[in-house]
Amino acid sequence: MTDAQVLLTLAVALFAIGFLGVVVRRHILIMLMCMELMLNGVNLSLVTFAHEQGSPLGAVLVFLIFVVAAAEIAIAIPIALLLVRRKRTVDLYAYTDLKG
Amino acid sequence: MSHLLVWIVLLPLAGFLFNGLAGDRLGARAVSLVGCGLPIGSFTLTVAGAIALAAAGGEPRVETAFTWATVGDHSFEVAFYLDRLSVVMALVVTGVGSLIHVYSTGYMRDDPGYARYFAYLNLFLFFMLVLVLGRSLLVLFVGWEGVGLASYLLIGFWFQDPEKARAGKKAFITNRVGDAGFLLGMFVLFQAAGTLEMDRVNAVFSTGAPAGFSASLIGVLLFVGATGKSAQIPLHVWLPDAMAGPTPVSALIHAATMVTAGVYMVARLSGIYGQAPEASAVIAAVGVLTALFAATVALTQNDIKKVLAYSTISQLGLMFLALGVGAYGVAVFHLYTHAFFKACLFLGAGSVIHALGGEQDIRRMGGLARRVPTTFATFAVAAAAIAGIPPLAGFFSKDEILWFALASRSGGALWLWALAALTAFLTAFYMARLLWLTFLAPSRVDAETARHVHESPRSMTGVLIALAALSAVGGFVGVPHLLEPLLPLPEVRPGLDALETPLVLLSVLLAVGGVGAAAYVLAAGEDPAEVFRRRFPGLHRLVAGKYFVDEAYERWVTRPLYWVSDRVFLRFSDRRVLDGSLHALAALAERSAARLSRAQTGNLQLYAFLVLAGIAAGLLWSLRHV
Amino acid sequence: MEWLLEHLDRLLLYVFGAGALVSALLMLVLRQPMRVALALISAMVFLGGIYGLLGVHFIAAFQVLIYVGAIMVFMVYVIMMLDPRDPSCAERFSVLVLPAVVAFVLLVGVLGYVVWAGAPALAGGAYGSVYELRQFAASFLKEYWLHFELTSVLLVVAVVAAVAVIQVHRGRHD
Repeated sequence: MTDAQVLLTLAVALFAIGFLGVVVRRHILIMLMCMELMLNGVNLSLVTFAHEQGSPLGAVLVFLIFVVAAAEIAIAIPIALLLVRRKRTVDLYAYTDLKG
Repeated sequence: MSHLLVWIVLLPLAGFLFNGLAGDRLGARAVSLVGCGLPIGSFTLTVAGAIALAAAGGEPRVETAFTWATVGDHSFEVAFYLDRLSVVMALVVTGVGSLIHVYSTGYMRDDPGYARYFAYLNLFLFFMLVLVLGRSLLVLFVGWEGVGLASYLLIGFWFQDPEKARAGKKAFITNRVGDAGFLLGMFVLFQAAGTLEMDRVNAVFSTGAPAGFSASLIGVLLFVGATGKSAQIPLHVWLPDAMAGPTPVSALIHAATMVTAGVYMVARLSGIYGQAPEASAVIAAVGVLTALFAATVALTQNDIKKVLAYSTISQLGLMFLALGVGAYGVAVFHLYTHAFFKACLFLGAGSVIHALGGEQDIRRMGGLARRVPTTFATFAVAAAAIAGIPPLAGFFSKDEILWFALASRSGGALWLWALAALTAFLTAFYMARLLWLTFLAPSRVDAETARHVHESPRSMTGVLIALAALSAVGGFVGVPHLLEPLLPLPEVRPGLDALETPLVLLSVLLAVGGVGAAAYVLAAGEDPAEVFRRRFPGLHRLVAGKYFVDEAYERWVTRPLYWVSDRVFLRFSDRRVLDGSLHALAALAERSAARLSRAQTGNLQLYAFLVLAGIAAGLLWSLRHV
Repeated sequence: MEWLLEHLDRLLLYVFGAGALVSALLMLVLRQPMRVALALISAMVFLGGIYGLLGVHFIAAFQVLIYVGAIMVFMVYVIMMLDPRDPSCAERFSVLVLPAVVAFVLLVGVLGYVVWAGAPALAGGAYGSVYELRQFAASFLKEYWLHFELTSVLLVVAVVAAVAVIQVHRGRHD
């Protein structure tokens, strides 16, 4: 058992837990935070791979993911706020009529 | 000039482009100048070509314009070919064509479509010259289709009238039937001879048909095309309806030039027909039957242009009779004389119609001889020529046709002669009737119209005089003799030589007898058609109804085709099978989409779960299989 | 004690990893969003520690600066804007808990199996000098400059989009 395997297992666990959180938690902000957790899991795996391969590419990708996460949250939070203002609730189930 | 023939062909095309594109903007004067000037220029060049040909002793002149296509070892060239035969045709086409262009400047003067009319007429001349001068059967076919197009455009020239537009369509569609045969004939011919250049084809067939190919099959297939273009039984139905076009068009296209294209084509390919006795027999029989059939119909018609139209069909039948008995030169001779007198008759009829303000029914004419004397005189000369009164042009050519119908060693027979002679008699008879009822009988014109009767302008009468003069003296040009090195006359059956002079006398008698018989009835103040109707009501109904060919086609061809198209192709194939299957597919998609749309709950977490389950399942599967 | 010093790195690695895992699991069960946010922050800090242990100090710094310092502060701020006694979200979990847990177990099982059984490429590795900031920066600007520029475009788009979202909102209510 190497360190890399441990770290990758941790990355898998973080990603899967994040995913599970997105599926089971009904609070929309908590869902957003779980998505961040998934991204963190991916970041960890990238860093680990880069570490193993001795290549800076993984670090570059991590850096790009930071930016993407910042952009994502910058859009997602105003949308969530607008939704909450519309219906006065943070419960995802109140928004099923958005399917059109 | 090294490109003489190309220029002959291209000048009318230039006229078409000029008049078609700019004519409306430049006014009638420019249109007349270009529309008549270029055909006349073409005619002048043709005369120059004829002189050069005579100087060269009849050596054919070939000009290759460009190579159309190269397929494998075969190269298809657009080449023009001037020899004794095509020079006669080209002179007739450009000569009579130019005259009719000039005539049209008077006849069509007040028509709003003046420029369009001249554009079409120039276009026709271009395609007709392509047809006549083309060396390859393929080039001829381009011209063949092109004149069909021009004919369609000009028959339906006044397309606002649905009746006239329909006549144009009828002509076009009937010709398509013939063209199918023509194309098949071309395919077989190319297989057999390996070339479509007609002088080479004739050379190939000069020693008999190539092994494995029947010259008669090729001949009959090509003749099917000719029956369409030249209005022979059974495809003659379009020509009478084609009279819906302006009268000069009827004169040029549907009397003098285009309808003789079939005759020209058969004469051009005489090498094939010389090896095809069966096809020749078919041509002779169809020709003589058409001649007789059309002549009887012409007896009972009351529309001046319809009489002339059936007369044209009848004369074309006589030409095909000559072709069928191997007298190709004689057929071309009759074509040439017919171009003069029939153009003159049509243009005279146009002048009469012009004078009467559009009236075409001869029962409401009469007494016009004094009112329009020039028209009358020229019409009378032309009518006498077609009736075969010596020494006018029609006498010579018709007499020779009758002689070879009886005496030719390649197919001449007594029954052909008898029917042709009867046709000649009837021709004289109905022309006399037409002349009498139009010009000589007491006037039946209503007073209002009568006051406006006037002689046509100089541009029209001048052309009439020129054509009448040609009808009078054209027969003295020995066209068959001129063509003999190219199209030798058939040998005479043994023992018939002595009959030649008596037969000439007999044909004169027939012509005079026909006129006399008509005069006998007419002098009593009666219309022969009326007498005929009283005496033989049943027969008259049949003839006046044009033997009900149109009705038979309607009943036995059009309606079954329509039924099949409607029931089988439209209702069954198109609507039920094609549309039905498409509608079924659409309904299937719609229904399955309705089912699947229930999965769209709007619950994001369900979607996320499905993604999660999908990823897990996909990974599981790839673990097993990759 | 010597053993402890010798294996301090690895020990810290495990401690940080366990901390991150526990924080993540807490995120699933905590009811209050603010507590969930704090759990996420702690998971991120633990991950930053792991990055530091791996020698990628600048990524560790970014992790703390961008994630914790920017994103999560933003998130906490929003949570505070909402009414903490909102009764509408009384239900913690969706109806899909059981199937989702099954799928979760499958996913972890498959990926964990791959990590533990397969992947020969993961056997050990050299701690190279690739993680020096200088090299990272050079390769970023030499090889990945296009991606770098694209992210800047992405950020501009995000700013514009955020402004647009707010404008839509204003236009409707004012």
